[in-house]
Order: sequence, then structure tokens, then C-alpha cells
Amino acid sequence: MAETDQAVVEAENPLLEGLRLRRRPDPCALVIFGASGDLTTRKLFPAIYSLAVRRLLPERFAIVGIARTEESDEDFRQRMREAVEEHSRDELREDVWQELAAGMRYVTSEFEDPGGWERLTRALNALDAERGTNGNRVYYLAVPPGAIANLADELGKRRETEGWTRLVVEKPFGRDRASATDLNERIHCHFSEREIFRIDHYLGKETVQNMLALRFANGIFEPIWNRQFVDHVQITVAESIGIEDRAEFYEQAGAIRDIFQNHLLQLLALTAMEPPIDFTADSVRNEKVKVLRSMQTPGPSTVVRGQYGRGFVEGEEVAGYREEPRVAPDSMTETFVAAELYVDNWRWADTPFYVRVGKRLPRRETTIAIHFKRAPHPPFEELAAEGLRPNVLIVQVQPDEGVSLAIGAKVPGQGMTIRTVHMDFLYGGAFRTGLPEAYERLILDTLLGDATLFTRADEVDEQWALVDAIVAAWQRDRPGFPNYDAGTWGPPSAEELLARAGRAWRRN
Amino acid sequence: MPLAHVDRWQGRDVRLADVGRALAQLRDRDVHDEDGPDLRTSVLTHLVWVPERWRAAVEEVLKGLDERHPSRAIVLYPHPEPERDAIDVEIAVESYRLKGVCRHVSAEVIRIDLHGRRAEAPASIVSPLLMHDLPVFLRWRGQPPFGEGPLEQLIGIADRLVVDSTEWDDLPAAYPRLANLFDRVAVSDIAWSRTQRWRRVLAGLWPGIAELSELRVRGPRATGLLLGGWLRGRLGRDISLALEPDETITAIVVDGIPVQQPAGEPKTPSDLLSDELEIYGRDRIYEEAVRAAAL
Repeated sequence: MAETDQAVVEAENPLLEGLRLRRRPDPCALVIFGASGDLTTRKLFPAIYSLAVRRLLPERFAIVGIARTEESDEDFRQRMREAVEEHSRDELREDVWQELAAGMRYVTSEFEDPGGWERLTRALNALDAERGTNGNRVYYLAVPPGAIANLADELGKRRETEGWTRLVVEKPFGRDRASATDLNERIHCHFSEREIFRIDHYLGKETVQNMLALRFANGIFEPIWNRQFVDHVQITVAESIGIEDRAEFYEQAGAIRDIFQNHLLQLLALTAMEPPIDFTADSVRNEKVKVLRSMQTPGPSTVVRGQYGRGFVEGEEVAGYREEPRVAPDSMTETFVAAELYVDNWRWADTPFYVRVGKRLPRRETTIAIHFKRAPHPPFEELAAEGLRPNVLIVQVQPDEGVSLAIGAKVPGQGMTIRTVHMDFLYGGAFRTGLPEAYERLILDTLLGDATLFTRADEVDEQWALVDAIVAAWQRDRPGFPNYDAGTWGPPSAEELLARAGRAWRRN
Repeated sequence: MPLAHVDRWQGRDVRLADVGRALAQLRDRDVHDEDGPDLRTSVLTHLVWVPERWRAAVEEVLKGLDERHPSRAIVLYPHPEPERDAIDVEIAVESYRLKGVCRHVSAEVIRIDLHGRRAEAPASIVSPLLMHDLPVFLRWRGQPPFGEGPLEQLIGIADRLVVDSTEWDDLPAAYPRLANLFDRVAVSDIAWSRTQRWRRVLAGLWPGIAELSELRVRGPRATGLLLGGWLRGRLGRDISLALEPDETITAIVVDGIPVQQPAGEPKTPSDLLSDELEIYGRDRIYEEAVRAAAL
């Protein structure tokens, strides 16, 4: 039955009303390019399996893995089974796995090999016939950034006439504004914007989405979410790990392209955006892009970059960045960026957004902290109120997902002594169902065709415009790297960024 | 989530002020715990009315539930026999270790034995113990005594009444009496939840099922009656219903054709109740099914 006829039948079906039916995706085949890679093993397959456990995948579904590595269908199934056993949040259930594995195929191919494309087409046609996937395709490009444009070209040339097609592209999307524009143009030759799903996996995190719930489902926050009441905002994306085995990528990208351009600016946009009129993909993304367009280009004095040297993380001595394998001994790649950013609009004018991202920092944490202005005139003696700090609303994205509000409270006893205390809401404490992994949500949304949590071309463009301006200024100087020890919160100049305005970074 | 520890308090012939103090002391006990204080993140008050014959079954369901819903559960055991007028209370503050965090979350279970005349005024006993500003779910074990004091009082303070009509003897006669409550309190029926997976299968038979005239259900009487009521109400047709008793729904036949078994396993009693505790509004389709079930 055609999709529209099916929709009419469903709309007329009185038995469906009131049934708590989760929207189930259309039948389709998911084709993963880069099926032998780390992302597929650690994230994609465990997520697909968790969706299968919850019966959220299409009833008629197939997966084709494609990569250079020589492998049979059975080898692929076995390897993915091991990946699920190792990385999934769910125990492997034999019945669920067998159902999933029955629809799994593997195609060995160099991406530029015409024979490989023919084998893929044959495999997909066979799956359409065997599993009823109706010619619907999701192409997931879990491949290095340089391979995306050519793959999109090849896929575009071979588009099926039957069924719908969606293209999932992993970050980074380009390495600057020009390359991102070029990539967008090449992909748009074959795919409409509605068919392109650019993944920033941070947007799939429950706590990032909770920022929207916190702001727009609670009447108490929005009236004070502006320059009148907010002194400044701090966004921290800190990692305690180094670059692990990603030297080749990281040497080219650095912290600004790896995290700042995408995750960090997306967190900022969600924090600063106006309420969307509804929660549809375009409404949400329209508001985010307005924020990105409103951002001032930061000058050199408001951006700090750093690179870690030797130091101690969790009591263990770790190498400096330039000592990492396959990193140039005189590398000028930054592993830390801090900036003072401004959103020039009615809501946020003159309110600083202090942001920092970095590797080998003391601990892994991603937080958004809204620092409110001080109470105008606390009627307490100075000594009694010395423990009182301004209110801070902290959205803890990871770990310990939740929200915390710092408020002043009286210390029990004689006199009026005030101390800051925290009211905590921990996700795990209120909702004990286990948080889904970001990739579960994003893969499901792709199968459903819901692009709300994906980045649109104009967002990517604005993000790169800001990053290009920062990087251009960096060409004019050569800082003395390394300039912070592993296990510290970045170079001293990052502290000065706030200290000159009488502020300080949050420490905990 | 692993249970870290349980702190208990018991009192015989107590006043509610004693209960409040005991709760505060139990919470206070954890403040200096080396893992930090327990978090008390509550989302609802779960009120349970348990006639003696349901006592064991309730304890079993609570075991599976406390971990999932950070609630204050107030379990009321009425003993209306006039030996003494008194309240006996047992409090258990159960702390669960949060995964990956050096913190515990706690759930409170307050078991109250209502002796003598105290069983006649349960709302006055429960009201001071409700969590402020959070929804109150009243789970009534067995068939509610429609029109009688305790039920009427507790409905007055509850946002949602949760029953399981498979526990009732007087069917379908009790359904119209339940329907009389619909405008006063939102009602959930676990028997109705059990039919959900079968309703999905039946909905998948549309439009072929539009002219249905005969329905046969092998399963609990309540679920069969509700499925019949649902199809009558939804299809707007008079449908003859034949019931064959069984512990769970094992077969459905529509106009002589067996319906395919739904995929997956049926949910456990804890899962079913857990699902009901996540619903807040009225279920109009269920209400329609209840009204039509008695026809």
C-alpha cells in the first residue's frame, strides 16, 4: 500500500484512537558506510540493538554494512554481536539479536570501486524482495570527512526511483566555511535539505533536550532568562582524556573544529534561543540560527587558546600533546579554547557567554551555568553573608545528568549567617528508566524523518563563519605552546579572561 | 538499580506527628553518610488501599515498583474490627545506589494499619502525609466498595484511581458503578492495560474488522468484557461476546477467525502498575469501553 493510502486508512481507523502507539518508522534499509570503523562498533550498532530491544525499529528492516575490510555476512554479524555485548546498555537477548541479524548483510568494497556499488545495489534489491524494505534507504556515512562528498555524489547518481532516501552525515561538516559551503553544494546536487541529517550527537543527549524543557515548560525561568537578571553564562565542555588514537584527525582539527564549532555552539544556541512556536524541525532550527547570526565576532583579546604539556590526571602522569604518538613535536594545534562571546540581540545584549573546551582538563564534564545577578541589597551584616554567592542554575549535561540551583540559606543557630546550598535534581533519581544513548534517539529520528535534532546547512554556515574569524586572527601570532599542564583548567590567560571583569570560572 | 540500604522505624498506636518526626529522623540519618546524603526526588504520592486478602500480593508489587518510581508510597491496611481504635505504622526509607554517581536516592514506604474506627476516616490520616503539589495515585486492591466512606474520602484527595477489574467478582454489574466515578477522578484499570497489546493487533485488522459481529475471548472475564465494550464503542455496532475463562488472554477469535498472537511477552504486574503511574489525564476510550462493557 502506498504511504498516503496507508495514512488515510490509519486516520479513519477508530480502533487506533487512544492506543499509546509510538510512531514506528516506515520499512527501510539502513546502509552504513564505514561498517568496520570504531563509530559503528562502539555507538551505532549498540544503539540499533537498543532500539530493537524496545521494538522501535521498523517492522520490515535491514542493515547493510559496507567497508573495505574483507568480511562475510556471517563475520559481520558476529563482529556486531560482540560490539553489542561489549558496548550496549542492554543485555544481549538471543531472540532480539536473531531477528536483527536475519536482516544484516555485508558488502566489501572500496568506495570508488564500481563493482562495489553494483554489489550494494544487488544486496539492497534482494533485501527489498526478501524483507519488504520498499526501496526506502537511509545511508549513514560513518566515514572520514574527506570521503563524504564523493560518496554523496555516487549515492546521488544511483538514487532509486522507488521509496525515500535519507543521508546521515557525521561531524565535522567541512573544515571551514568555504569547504562546508562546497560540501553542502555538492550534496544538494543530489539531495534536498530535508533528506540530509547532519549529526551532532550532543543534540541527542537527553540533558541537552532537557534545556528546552527547562526553559519552555517552566513558567518561572523564562521571565528571568535575559540580560536583566543574568549576569553571565558559562559553558564548559571539558575532557580529561587526551587525543587517544585520533592524532591524524586532531592535528588538523584542534579543539576549535572538534568541539567548539559544533557541540559548544549548539549548546550556546539552545541556551540563548527564543522560544520556538512549536517543536518542529524548522521552528527550532530557525531560532537557533538567529542566535548564531546574532553573535559578535570575537576579537583576539577575548579568545584564549592552549595546548597541554605534561601533567597529572587522576594521579597518573600523562604525556604532553606534542609527545603523543603521531603528533608533530612542534605542533601548534590547540587542545583548549576559551572565549568571551556576545549574542547581540534584545535579550542578551552585553551579557557575556564565557565558553571553554579542552582536553586533559581535571575532569570530564559538560555544564551550562547561568549566573544570575546578585541580590540588590541583602539586609544582612557583611560578615554573616560572606558565604553567599549569586544564584547559579547549572544544567549538568554529563556526567551526573541533572539540574542544580545554588541558593542562599540560613545556617542553623544563633544570628543570621547565610551559606550557599545546592538544590539538586538528578535525572537518575527522578526517572529510573535509564537514559537512552544519544545515538539511539538520533538513529530513530532519522528513520522517522524527524530532523529537529540535526543541524541545518545555514546553522553549519554560521558556526563556521564564527570559527573562521577566530582562526584567521590566530594566523597572526604564535603562542608559546604548551601553555598549560595536563590536569589543570587551561592556561592562566583563560582565568584572566573572566578576572578582568571581576568574575571567575566555576570550579565545581 | 541496587538497593544500598533500608532504614526502618516502627510505632504502635502512634499519632501522625510521630510519623512526621520519624521520617525526618530517617532522612537526617543519611546526611553524614560517607556517600553523601540521600536524594529525595519525588514525582508522586502512591496511595494503596489493601484489604487483608491482598496484603501479600501488594508487597510483591511494591518490591518491583519502589526502585522505578521515586515516590512516597502510603499503604493502608484497614482492620475495621473494633478491637481497638489505633494507628500502627512502619516506615521504610529505601535507598538505591545511582549508577555512576556517588549518591543514593531514596523512596519512602509508609505502611499504616488502621484499626477500628480509624479505618473509617482514612483521608484524614493520609492527607497530612501527601507530598505537596505532586499527583496522588490511589491504587485500590480488590473491588472498591462504591458509595462507601473510605473510597469516597480517598477519591476526594486522589488525582487518579487505579483499579484492576480482573480482581472483581461482580462483573459486569460493577462497571456502571465505576463509570459513575469518571467525572470525579481519572481512572486507570490494569485489566485494560493488559488488553493493550491485543488491541494493537485488533486495530491492525482495520478495515476488515469494521463489520465485526462476533467476538470470542479466552482470558480473564474483565479483559474479555472490556475488549467487547471497546469494539462495541469504537465500531458503533452491537457485537455478541463469548468468554472462556483463562488466567491471561490466550486467544481471540473475530467472526470465527483466530487473531494472531501479539509479539513479545506480557508485562509483569509491577510493569503494568508502573505504566499506570505515568498517565495523568482521563482515558476517554477506556471510559467508553467500560460503559459499553455492561451492555
